Amino acid sequence: MGALAIKNVTKSFGDTHILKGIDIHIEAGEFLILVGPSGCGKSTLMNIIAGLEAPTTGEVHIGERIVNNVAPKDRDIAMVFQSYALYPTMNVRKNIAFGMETRGVPKKEQDEIIARVSKMLQIDHLLDRKPGQLSGGQRQRVAMGRALARDPKLFLFDEPLSNLDAKLRVEMRTEIKQLHHRLKTTIVYVTHDQIEAMTLGDKIAVMKDGIIQQFGSPEEIYERPSNLFVAGFIGSPSMNFVECHLAEQGGEYGVSLQSEGDARFVALPNGARLADRIGQKVILGVRPEQIEVAEEGEPGLACKVHLTEPTGPDTMIFTQVNGKEVVARVHPRAARHPGETMRLKLDMGKVVLFDPQTELRLV
Amino acid sequence: MDNQNKLWRVALYAVLVYAAVYYLLPLYIMATTSVKSMDEIRAGNLIALPMSITFDAWGKAWATACTGVECGGLSRYFWNSVQMVIPAVLISTTLGAINGYVLSKWRFRGSELTFALILFGVFIPFQVVLLPMAQTLGWFGMARSVAGLVFVHVVFGIASTTLFFRNYYVGIPDELIKAARLDGAGFWRIFFKVVLPMSTPIVMVVLIWQFTQIWNDFLFGVVFSSGDSQPITVGLNNLANTSTSVKEYNVDMAAAIIAALPTIIVYVLAGKYFVRGLTAGAVKG
Ligand SMILES: Nc1ncnc2c1ncn2[C@@H]1O[C@H](COP(=O)(O)OP(=O)(O)O)[C@@H](O)[C@H]1O
Ligand SMILES: [Mg+2]
Repeated sequence: MGALAIKNVTKSFGDTHILKGIDIHIEAGEFLILVGPSGCGKSTLMNIIAGLEAPTTGEVHIGERIVNNVAPKDRDIAMVFQSYALYPTMNVRKNIAFGMETRGVPKKEQDEIIARVSKMLQIDHLLDRKPGQLSGGQRQRVAMGRALARDPKLFLFDEPLSNLDAKLRVEMRTEIKQLHHRLKTTIVYVTHDQIEAMTLGDKIAVMKDGIIQQFGSPEEIYERPSNLFVAGFIGSPSMNFVECHLAEQGGEYGVSLQSEGDARFVALPNGARLADRIGQKVILGVRPEQIEVAEEGEPGLACKVHLTEPTGPDTMIFTQVNGKEVVARVHPRAARHPGETMRLKLDMGKVVLFDPQTELRLV
Repeated sequence: MDNQNKLWRVALYAVLVYAAVYYLLPLYIMATTSVKSMDEIRAGNLIALPMSITFDAWGKAWATACTGVECGGLSRYFWNSVQMVIPAVLISTTLGAINGYVLSKWRFRGSELTFALILFGVFIPFQVVLLPMAQTLGWFGMARSVAGLVFVHVVFGIASTTLFFRNYYVGIPDELIKAARLDGAGFWRIFFKVVLPMSTPIVMVVLIWQFTQIWNDFLFGVVFSSGDSQPITVGLNNLANTSTSVKEYNVDMAAAIIAALPTIIVYVLAGKYFVRGLTAGAVKG
């Protein structure tokens, strides 16, 4: 059953067009991530889903209903805000109870729900404190508790972790994921952090300039990004982009790569599909982990190491291919020192090609 | 280096002490003069401490001093002022809070223009509206009454109370209102349960501000009231201008202090909230 459908939603503030035709459809229980740079319209879309703002055109469906004309409180949703938006003059218990009081939930039931939710989120010892007396992480939990107490059909999270420090962010990320596994509610989660997007989402919608650039599973988005923006935005370190020309050599289609002091032709599997583009410029996208160290006797491109960045499990090698800086993620033991040369090879089965004009993916 | 520093410090304190004395001296002279007898005032030095303290002048200023043809002291005027200031402050503060809430959190088409127009009211010189206001009060049948004064002060107060509240509420994150709306709360429930409890600092500021403005007002008082509805400022003026054979400085001084006392007390009791409220920025979540 469809849990949330957004159909051709646009939003303009006067002459500024913020959302330009958004289409999203997710099933009940799915975890949808809206990811994109700041200012691309994510919060605006969330507010439209929540009913806090009206779309200029288009429809929002929650469950079976069109909710365009349904008040926020009647949409059966709960939202967690970036700033947590806890009522500063109420203690934690009151914060969680406020919505239930408004809806007229009997006091006894309220107490049960507060007890259950606060236990689940481990905030039961904080119930009598005011938000000002809580740490960032605790406030975050209270904000989630307030949403959980609602037991809604749809959870909306607007950058819930972006005000936490790095360590806490990772912890809470895991907790949210576990929570989702346990509760199996539908979640729409906004973030500008692509790691959060990859780790949490069942579906990811990558947004830019009010347009969904790509909508798909994390694997699809990671392995087959539909354009240069998505390719560069998702993944860390970012995908390398190397300009090259498509060529044919000995019946095989491929591109020539040039390092400082070496050059070789590498064939593309299924390159024949690109036969009509021979001689044209393309952008080769290759992720750092798709560049490997060539074994003894294997063909490889001799590359000069400019810089290394050990991260612990891997070491990043900075070098140059076709005049562009390229990062390779290699095993620390295979890494050479700056100034030395390493023979590298690309996993041509995984690389992607983009049209330099349209910026769309070719294969 | 260290010595030079010390020198600066001494100079600084000298200036500060001088400024403090300069401002406190009038109060000191008022207070001391009001408890001296007329004989002592005629004989003595203006600055000298009283040789014997007497509250006769205070009693006279309060109950028997002549203000024009009547000789009932300031008490009547004082109670007029109390009856005027309490409703005027409460109503103008309440309306300002609601206006500020609407103009910051429930914006509508034209709300910025509305705010700009209200703001205009802060800068209108009182003199400009005296005649039209007198006409209006006449139409409403409130001319020359305490109710009329309350009305005038409320109308004039709204501009500044709205400005105060609106600027404070702009600092309250919009997300808080959104969260409350998702929690099912409407306009008034959000106002009373979420916004108002966060407003203590600015409520204190506005209460003190309005109290001081309205209590100290002379112009509206003298123009829009007469006889038994006149406020304390007008009473003080009448008292000081009533010619008697001898000028009773001690009574004048006592009367002036009586007129100023409520604002001083309010500021002493709530002044720390005033400073805190003015410096309070955005409310932390
Ligand atoms: N009420 C509004 N009036 C005018 N512009 C707005 C309004 N709300 C948001 N915007 C603009 O819409 C754009 C998208 O905002 P937002 O949805 O908050 O982005 P994101 O959450 O992706 O960072 C921003 O450029 C912002 O300035
Ligand atoms: Mg946002």
